[in-house]
Amino acid sequence: METVVFLISAAVILSGALGVIFSKNPVHSALFMVQTLFGVAVLFVLLEATFLAAIQVIVYAGAIVILFVFVITLLGVDRAEDLKVEPISGQRPLAVVLGASIFGIILTVLIVAVGGPTGEQVANTPIGDASDNTKILGEALFSTHVFSVELTALLLTVAVVGAVVLSTRPTKPLISTLDKQQNDNLEDELEEKGEE
Amino acid sequence: MSITTTWYLLLAAILFSIGTTGLLVRRNPLIMFMCIELMLNAVNITFVSIGSHLNDLGGQLAVFFVLVVAAAEVVIGLALVVAIMRRRSRTNADDLKILGG
Amino acid sequence: MSTNLLIVAFERPAIDWHAVAPEIVLLSVGVLITLLDILFLEKARPYMAALSGLGILATAIPLLTLGIDGTERVLFDGAYVVDNFSLVLKAIFLLAGYVVILLSTNYIVDGDYWESEYYGLLLASLMGMIMMASSRDLISVFVALELLSIPAYLMVAWRKRDPKSNEAGLKYYLMGVFASAVMLYGMSLLFGVSGTTVLSEIADSIDAGNGSSSVMTLGIVFVVAGFAFKVSAVPFHTWAPDVYEGAPTPVTAFLSVASKAAGFVALLALIFVGFYELSNIWEPLIWILAALSMTVGNLVALRQTNIVRLMAYSGVAQTGFMIAPLAVAGHSLSTGNQALSAIVTYLAIYAAMNLGAFAVIITLARRTGSAEIDSFSGAFHFAPGLTVAMTIFLFSLAGIPPLGGWFAKFEVFRVLATSGETWGYLLAVVAAINSVIALFYYATIARKMWADDPSEKDLNNIEVTPSLVSALAICVLVTLLFGIFPQLVARFTEVSLLAFGV
Repeated sequence: METVVFLISAAVILSGALGVIFSKNPVHSALFMVQTLFGVAVLFVLLEATFLAAIQVIVYAGAIVILFVFVITLLGVDRAEDLKVEPISGQRPLAVVLGASIFGIILTVLIVAVGGPTGEQVANTPIGDASDNTKILGEALFSTHVFSVELTALLLTVAVVGAVVLSTRPTKPLISTLDKQQNDNLEDELEEKGEE
Repeated sequence: MSITTTWYLLLAAILFSIGTTGLLVRRNPLIMFMCIELMLNAVNITFVSIGSHLNDLGGQLAVFFVLVVAAAEVVIGLALVVAIMRRRSRTNADDLKILGG
Repeated sequence: MSTNLLIVAFERPAIDWHAVAPEIVLLSVGVLITLLDILFLEKARPYMAALSGLGILATAIPLLTLGIDGTERVLFDGAYVVDNFSLVLKAIFLLAGYVVILLSTNYIVDGDYWESEYYGLLLASLMGMIMMASSRDLISVFVALELLSIPAYLMVAWRKRDPKSNEAGLKYYLMGVFASAVMLYGMSLLFGVSGTTVLSEIADSIDAGNGSSSVMTLGIVFVVAGFAFKVSAVPFHTWAPDVYEGAPTPVTAFLSVASKAAGFVALLALIFVGFYELSNIWEPLIWILAALSMTVGNLVALRQTNIVRLMAYSGVAQTGFMIAPLAVAGHSLSTGNQALSAIVTYLAIYAAMNLGAFAVIITLARRTGSAEIDSFSGAFHFAPGLTVAMTIFLFSLAGIPPLGGWFAKFEVFRVLATSGETWGYLLAVVAAINSVIALFYYATIARKMWADDPSEKDLNNIEVTPSLVSALAICVLVTLLFGIFPQLVARFTEVSLLAFGV
């Protein structure tokens, strides 16, 4: 049973990943990415990481992919990219060779070290079964890793503040709101003209 | 045939390589971001499967942080793309030529 | 059973509040700035620079008390350590951050670049660096790295109306995120072999015989490559010139000093605490990185006409010098300790002289409106003080006695020469040749500023704002003092990580 589930999700994950990099349309890529992310979530369930499986679906497939699709539709970049045109000659084969060689290296190392990536079973903090996985994870996060957790909160705040600053329209300071409105309109017009 | 940790690690290695190749081949920043997400997912699979093999929570904890950080990174990346797209109609990593790198 | 588990109350972890006091003070200042910005909007803006500067000085107080106290504090099962090494590095970060705020003050006001948010991000990035100095665990190293990088991506793109800045931001972001993904994969492999994320426990696991595995090698290679990007070592340096040129110049100064130092701190902690025993793996890697960075950085710098790009390549070459002692650090414990001290010394002195050079560049570029080296010609005629300061910084970067840079380079050579390894001697030769090449382009700039005729007609003395004067004063003082009295810096940088890990 486990074997079957693993093989199916592996197929789902890999075909999704290939779909992401071979789709011409970014929207299709985003959808293929959802496929991969769901496959990974299934693997997490298989490995009894139930909490992570849940946030994989909620955060990744839910929030992150939606954000991608939003930006794609907002900016209208769903224009197909012509894969046949090679931007820098020789770059693409080189990239494929590089990717293949990275895979080769990792593969060789893993095969040479069969049983190698399996250090001794020290088990500092046992994982627990599916029923109390979330509780154990939460306790570990807020005891030994509490400092990192607090700082990820800062990180998210920084990301939000930065994203707002970067994506708001440039405004001129020290002018009244009404002027600002007009100014924005003017800038929009100028931008449109520029694009033509 | 039973599934050992090595299978998971191999799957992760393949996924990581697909992500790397995509990142180097594609020129659309949005798809490049997605390729980075693929690479991070490969990392997550590795962490969780090893953690499960060792019966150690460290792997799952690491994945939790990777997930949070990935969310923050995507937000920043997309904000950068939006900022650039405001100025030009198309975004392509090779169009970024002003700096001549 | 599950109900039983729920009844057991969660125990609050014991936290040594004194040890994390600097972080808490810095975090409070950051929160205060954000709150003031929300409450008072435009009205609060003029005070933001001063407030964040004061915040950094306030952070230095608990740092000082911790230094006087002097006990080594270990928190969170060894994941977070406050020892002399981390305190010295935190002090360097804070000083660099303070100088960057002085450099930013007028630049950000003039350009109307979202002041409050800018200082908030700067403090957040500093927070990541301060955390990095104490992190002794893969997870907290990763979180600290992201916390210091993500605000940096944003600050690079801060000149929103300038497409150059936007592009630099996107480039930096793409390369940075790629590097951290590679580094994470390496970390996952390290976790796989050792079964733990705490660095000292990884060292124990290596002692127990887990180090011979080839997966470990791959993990170390990936992790070192990830940090080589952060410190801009060849061949992972390609982002540096473009990003340095496109970013607002104070941010460039910040990246070239603080962000680079943070990458070094992580690398040092990983190598010395984590896998010191596996020197046969990381020494050759570091050797190649060091030799390539010095040579490529210097040769390309020779051909630059833009001063910021030149500083980028010179920074790559300086990275080569800083990383060089690591290439022989695994020889013996005493060599390891010497190498560590040499790198920390170099980081401290490099921070002062490089920030100083950028302070002069910012001041002069305000006048000339250009970053081309030719536009600085004859600067002596309209900015004599700045020309003298720039000469000090340039000659210090080149390593001419009795300036600080001389002592830094001397320490590097001493470690390489006393290691007793053929590879060490060879690297010392490469470094010596490169010092000569570097002197050539640093001296060219100085010669242009002193001897050439000014390209401008306006020969009135340049106006230097008070904040830039103080920044320059701090940098000149440190550069001179550390050069003339090297024992001063040596007293602080004699730190060790090895007693702990091995």
